[in-house]
Amino acid sequence: MDLSLTETQEEFKKVAEDFVKAEVPAHQMTQWYKNKQTFRPELVKKAAEIGWLGMMLPEEYGGAGVSTMDCAVVFEALGHGPVPGPLFTSGVLSAQMIFEACTEAQRKALLPKICDGSAIVVPAITDKAAYWGPEAVESRLEKIPGGYLLSGAKRFVFDAEAATSFLCAARSEEGKVVFVLVDAKAPGVKITLHVGFFVSVAEVRFDKVALTGDSLLGTSGASWSTLEAALDKALPILSAYQVGATQEVFDITCEYTRSRVVFGQPIGRFQRVQDHCVDISINLDMARWATYEAIWRIDSGMDARAGVHEAKATASDGYYHGTNYAHMVWAGPGTDYSHPMMAHSVLAHTLYQYLGTPGHHKRLMMDALYPRAN
Amino acid sequence: MDFTVSADPPHVVEFRKEVAAWMAEQFQGREHLRWSASWSTREDEEEYKFRRGLAEKLGAKGWLFPLFPKKYGGAELTIDHQVVLETELFKYGLNLSHVFYTLARIVAPVLIRWGTEEQKAEFLPPITRAEICVWQVLTEPHGGSDIANCQTKAIRDGDHYVVNGQKVMVGHHLPPDYLWTLVCTNPQGKRHENLAWIHIPAKLPGITIQHMNMMMGIKNAVFFDNVRVPAKYLIGGENNGWKVASTHMELEHGGDGRIAADPLVERVVEYCRNTHIDGKPLMEDDRTRDLIADMMIELNTLRRFNQLIYWRRFNKKPHPYGGPQQRYYQRMLRLRNGERLQAIMGADALEQNLSVHEVVDFEYAVRTGPGQLHGGGTLDTDRLIFARRLGLGRPTTEKAPETD
Repeated sequence: MDLSLTETQEEFKKVAEDFVKAEVPAHQMTQWYKNKQTFRPELVKKAAEIGWLGMMLPEEYGGAGVSTMDCAVVFEALGHGPVPGPLFTSGVLSAQMIFEACTEAQRKALLPKICDGSAIVVPAITDKAAYWGPEAVESRLEKIPGGYLLSGAKRFVFDAEAATSFLCAARSEEGKVVFVLVDAKAPGVKITLHVGFFVSVAEVRFDKVALTGDSLLGTSGASWSTLEAALDKALPILSAYQVGATQEVFDITCEYTRSRVVFGQPIGRFQRVQDHCVDISINLDMARWATYEAIWRIDSGMDARAGVHEAKATASDGYYHGTNYAHMVWAGPGTDYSHPMMAHSVLAHTLYQYLGTPGHHKRLMMDALYPRAN
Repeated sequence: MDFTVSADPPHVVEFRKEVAAWMAEQFQGREHLRWSASWSTREDEEEYKFRRGLAEKLGAKGWLFPLFPKKYGGAELTIDHQVVLETELFKYGLNLSHVFYTLARIVAPVLIRWGTEEQKAEFLPPITRAEICVWQVLTEPHGGSDIANCQTKAIRDGDHYVVNGQKVMVGHHLPPDYLWTLVCTNPQGKRHENLAWIHIPAKLPGITIQHMNMMMGIKNAVFFDNVRVPAKYLIGGENNGWKVASTHMELEHGGDGRIAADPLVERVVEYCRNTHIDGKPLMEDDRTRDLIADMMIELNTLRRFNQLIYWRRFNKKPHPYGGPQQRYYQRMLRLRNGERLQAIMGADALEQNLSVHEVVDFEYAVRTGPGQLHGGGTLDTDRLIFARRLGLGRPTTEKAPETD
């Protein structure tokens, strides 16, 4: 038993923390989120130079071959920004999916580009926002001479505007879920940012987009279970990012209780205000230790699926509820889109939904531990 | 990061075999007494004798306090040995944190921190060897959470302190050998500077104990009527009781940590597999599964909080708010799980099942939800301490008291 970070992890953490301080200062970050300009190509470039994109991949594909925990430490620190952009979508989830699903030739062609940032591959999975299971994959892949036609409309595609290509789930003519790579600039691809109380998400419409015969991932397009295997490794990284973001909300809120004076005393002396901070702290630490334990299981080679779903559920719940409790402390000023709280609040709602709500993941956790009879 | 508690370093591999074999021997033919070191008002004579006997045998080997010096009843072993003991005991529903009715897990570290050499030599071994039963008696009729407002007086008279006053809602259904308590040694003194901690032999003349029948089981009122307590039983010096109390309360309030998991979910799943509604097991019902998921995640969280506190404590890594956080969370979790149990199994959750140990009975889990919200200080006290340790509204954060 050792619940501390390794020396290397402490160094990784320090580098990422310094990056956040230098490149993503709160006033700047707040403007990006406020103006919905969350794709920052310069941040992707710098992240690639440091080696964060695809860092869990083996070195032969351009990665650094680090453990899940090493990567999580970086993403937790990035969550403090919160640093926006496709570092997770392309650098973790798509990278893992391609690594799991692809032939050696495809890996060699695609993964180094993801790692150096020249390719930004964004997953586009479901056609319905209301569900994240394979049942919500409705886009159709039609076989034509020499290739395929892709038709459908993906909703809630996170980081869509950053994409150079989409890793798209579609139904084959046999009704099977398969995955194809689609050039974001191909004729028939249309990206429309969703407008609402979320950020960095768009509808991606594929209107009879012509794909070449080699567009399938692997030899036969892989399957939903390939995506599940990729998610097993990727979700805890997203969870760690949410933990970092919740920690930031907690830190700035505790600090506010010391500096904000009303009725002649700092608000942190009021027990009801204290209670809100206690509730943030509990949400934060629930998520943190569920995430670390799941990652430890992965890195130790144990079955981690239930823990991974538990981590995503608690991290999304934690960021969401933690932010809501923080709003109780910040009151009016925290609801101004020019305040860092609003970036967190909008992102917390977005990530609560992204890749499945806490309720969805709790059900998957139960299914992993107690499979249904039928 | 490594959460493992069963992957042993080489120097304890043999020790695990030894402990496992020893425990198997103790429980041979007594498998039905699993859990029996836990608190229960339902236990019979057989269970009580077995539990006390087991505790004494563990104590005689120094295994209840493996890290302590041998002269204080310990075994001078390492933290790895202690983890082996925790995990092997847990196979029988036990762990070192279980009080075996002795309160030793709290009393012994407080004595180590605040006792004189003579007091340690005399008082520690019977406690660490589980030969005696100690009650903590802190709550007073008008004090409640405000234990510094202590009205029980101990006035020096020659070689003795004369104790007068009353403590309530303390102990359990079996009589104590010692009463571990806070008294006021200087009624005119300033708050927090007028107190002392004292270890009172329970059989002294002038002590009366009366049962109180309460939601969480049997508790007691203890009356002190001119009880003459030899001065050697005063711990930490006259008027220094608040500091001793701080160490005691840190351990009582979640700061001790533990390695153990609550088996409630396994039992609920078993119930839901065996209970059919309209021919379908409850376990196939989405709503039931959602409730179990929440129950499981919260119990997992509690297990991780406990393990984290345990690891930090024995590795000397300060964590100011771990204790109050664990305690507040743990009590709210019990309350929520009580409601979830009722939502899953209806009135079955309210019926006592005398065929299982009380601590794993659903009825106990439901009843002690609201019943254990206050013991040792209310939820509000937990959050108050939590807030101070977080330094909310204050320029500095409060440190946790020393607990070793």
